[in-house]
Amino acid sequence: MAETHSLQDLQQPTVSSKVYVQRDYSSGTLSKFQTKFPSELESRLDKQQFEETIQTLNNLYAEAEKLGGKSYLEGCLACLTAYTIFLCMETHYEKVLKKIGRYIKDQNEKIYAPRGLLLTDPIERGLRVVEITIFEDRSIGSGR
Amino acid sequence: MPGFSGGGVGGGVGGPASAPPRAFRPSRYVPVSAATTFLVGSTTLFFCFTCPWLSEYFSSVIPIYIAVIFLLTLANFCMATFMDPGVFPRAEEDEDKEDDFRAPLYKTVEIKGIQVRMKWCSTCRFYRPPRCSHCSVCDNCVEDFDHHCPWVNNCIGRRNYRYFFLFLISLTTHIINIFGFGLVYVLHHRQQLDTPHAAVTMAVMCVAGLFFVPVAGLTGFHMVLVARGRTTNEQVTGKFRGGVNPFTNGCMRNISHVLCSSQAPRYMGRLQSPQSVEVQPPFVRPPLTEAQLEAKVLDNGIQNDRHSTRSKISLDQMESQSADAEPPPPPKPELRYPGLPRADTEESSLLTEAPLTPSMFKYRPPYNSPGRNHSAITHPNKMIRGESLDSPSTSILQSSRQPSYRSEPSSLDGATVVGGGVGVRRGGGERGEGPGGPGGTAGGMSGGMSGHSLTGRSYTSYPSSLVLSTGGSHSSSLRSAHTAHNPLATLQSEGTTDTSYKSLANQTPRNGSLSYDSLLTPSESPEFESAAHELSPQKPRALFSSKTIMSQPEVMSPSSPLQGYTSPFLSAQIAQQREGQLLQGSATFSSPHRAYLRAVSPPPPSSSGPPESQHLLHHNHDPSSRAPRNPSSSSSSPGARSLEPPVSPPPRGLSLGKSYSYTGEAGPQYKPQPTRGGTVLGGGGVGGGQQAPQSISRPVLANHTTAKPGGGVKKVTGVGGTTYEISV
Repeated sequence: MAETHSLQDLQQPTVSSKVYVQRDYSSGTLSKFQTKFPSELESRLDKQQFEETIQTLNNLYAEAEKLGGKSYLEGCLACLTAYTIFLCMETHYEKVLKKIGRYIKDQNEKIYAPRGLLLTDPIERGLRVVEITIFEDRSIGSGR
Repeated sequence: MPGFSGGGVGGGVGGPASAPPRAFRPSRYVPVSAATTFLVGSTTLFFCFTCPWLSEYFSSVIPIYIAVIFLLTLANFCMATFMDPGVFPRAEEDEDKEDDFRAPLYKTVEIKGIQVRMKWCSTCRFYRPPRCSHCSVCDNCVEDFDHHCPWVNNCIGRRNYRYFFLFLISLTTHIINIFGFGLVYVLHHRQQLDTPHAAVTMAVMCVAGLFFVPVAGLTGFHMVLVARGRTTNEQVTGKFRGGVNPFTNGCMRNISHVLCSSQAPRYMGRLQSPQSVEVQPPFVRPPLTEAQLEAKVLDNGIQNDRHSTRSKISLDQMESQSADAEPPPPPKPELRYPGLPRADTEESSLLTEAPLTPSMFKYRPPYNSPGRNHSAITHPNKMIRGESLDSPSTSILQSSRQPSYRSEPSSLDGATVVGGGVGVRRGGGERGEGPGGPGGTAGGMSGGMSGHSLTGRSYTSYPSSLVLSTGGSHSSSLRSAHTAHNPLATLQSEGTTDTSYKSLANQTPRNGSLSYDSLLTPSESPEFESAAHELSPQKPRALFSSKTIMSQPEVMSPSSPLQGYTSPFLSAQIAQQREGQLLQGSATFSSPHRAYLRAVSPPPPSSSGPPESQHLLHHNHDPSSRAPRNPSSSSSSPGARSLEPPVSPPPRGLSLGKSYSYTGEAGPQYKPQPTRGGTVLGGGGVGGGQQAPQSISRPVLANHTTAKPGGGVKKVTGVGGTTYEISV
């Protein structure tokens, strides 16, 4: 997306690049993302913060996919009502996904946006990648 | 070719987060309509004619029970039919930018100690997660793909497998109920069988009895699958035959995962929350050292390679090297784009980033280095990828023009990079076909260096900085080259054989035994000759441009395969190979190197002889590295579409230390489709790699089997009537 470099346009920073944090499949197909710190973010973000964000996300996804009594009861109830319960009730996974959405928004507001970064909820990418958009930092001069 | 330029772009831009609209095909709805009609119709008749008597004679609990089971069946049937199986949305354009055509066809991940291969999906533009497969009927990648069920006219995947499984169980129960109670009725009305009630009951019993056998069989089959933690796709393609399934957690856990896990979310059609966060400069930055900045350049080159800093620094690097000395390091991703018609994104990125330097343009048009030849060819490659499903034959020819550019890594192992440009894209993972070698000149170079490298087939998927720094120019051809094959592979059977051989000139042992291929090519089939002709003009160019190629001139000319090499061993093997090839591509060699000869079996590539013979010699020492991944016989008829499973080396290299490796790719659908030729090569050739020197190619899901299986090829019939061959 090309944008003219005018002062007025500085209100909408241009996207410099995107980093994709891939899934970590080492323990199977559970939703988990790699905590390896991408090199492109080295100049923008602390490693610890990034790892903390990803780790929290991983924990949340683990909670969503947990095989527990709650999910079992939900399944039984759904079966008994011929799955009509899905019309009114939200599944456990969806509830946790909402929680994850709120967490990401919160992280964006507090940590990532001030650094010119933006996390995209992985569910929008089919839980395949965590997309981190890096915005160009014009205030310093030459783009990095 | 020029004509494809539009197609490639179109393919890439395609559908952003949704599947493209498909034509309405009424034939798709026949099985599901029939199933619905039989189910609802028979049950309704049963309720009308048989149940009144049952409730009178026994109790009204019986019809209620039957009704409950019927409702359960219907509910599960509807859920299985209408629920999204777990379709992945198409990747955004930005995401696959770096994975475009330079990246390898396969990426390997380790799951619980087992190597699993993730294949690049050219339609959906991402590397398919493990257990994901692309359904050609639905034209979507589906998570935890089980199969495409025509009776529900839907894919069965992660989200709706439970409902499908419960549907099968409840349907079996329902059929048993209907049949059983119908039998009770008939036995009590033996003297009144001419009444309409009895007649209808008997008719319903017949229908029930008829459907009972296949449904019960399928139910039992799926019970076993659930207990073992496998999908139909994996079972049918024999992925875990004799191996370990990395996705199983034990019988109880598998069952509870299917039945008790929370409903998986859907990925399509989600409401995207508007981005409410404002991103405004100035931005906070952590302290950064100069060393970190320097190091940043060479790191993580495969992905997310779009930073302007990187491009700038890479430009500096290139500027500092003279084009005539040694091949420069591979141009950074942005530079590789210039030749491609993705002008908008590139140009915009170029405009917004650092000011253009003259050196950037140096790499735009072809220049006197491997990279140039490469870029000239990348177009067709890219286009081919975009057009993957369209014209296999033409793409075969096109791909065949990528001769040396698509060299295999094996040659690059040792000496590798030296010549520069030997774009060893090993970092990216395995290559779709044969040892994914670097493209471009590497071909020629690898030919020359084959002698040294052959030990290499240790194609690992780890990104090495060395590889990255040198891979460069040719890596672009990698994916395109492979994808050129790859689309064909998906269409036919995944495998390198024909096409890859055609396209690969001399290169390093693609699947193990290069030498034979190259030697045989010119004289074998007309296709190869034409391919060879196409290749020859390319090769010399590549050759001359690379100074490090040793025996290039000889190597490259397809017309004189035996130049410089007259080993009696070779000639004997060649003779054997030729003979084998005449037998419809099945490997019938009896030579001790049958293992890798077989891999080569189908039409030999149009590569040149000498380098291959060198390879051969080296290969002799290292038979294990050459596990033929391609079941020779199966899907390869000379010049046929079949593409044998690509290369084994990458997984093999890694698997030497592992217990098992398998490819994540399976047939796009469980139901074989004749139009798709060999479809999936299923597990590709990975399986055997670490097991034994003569690694076995994984069974190929071929719709047709070759007439004559080669030596050591076993035909196996899988569920659903598909047959595939395993080379033993």
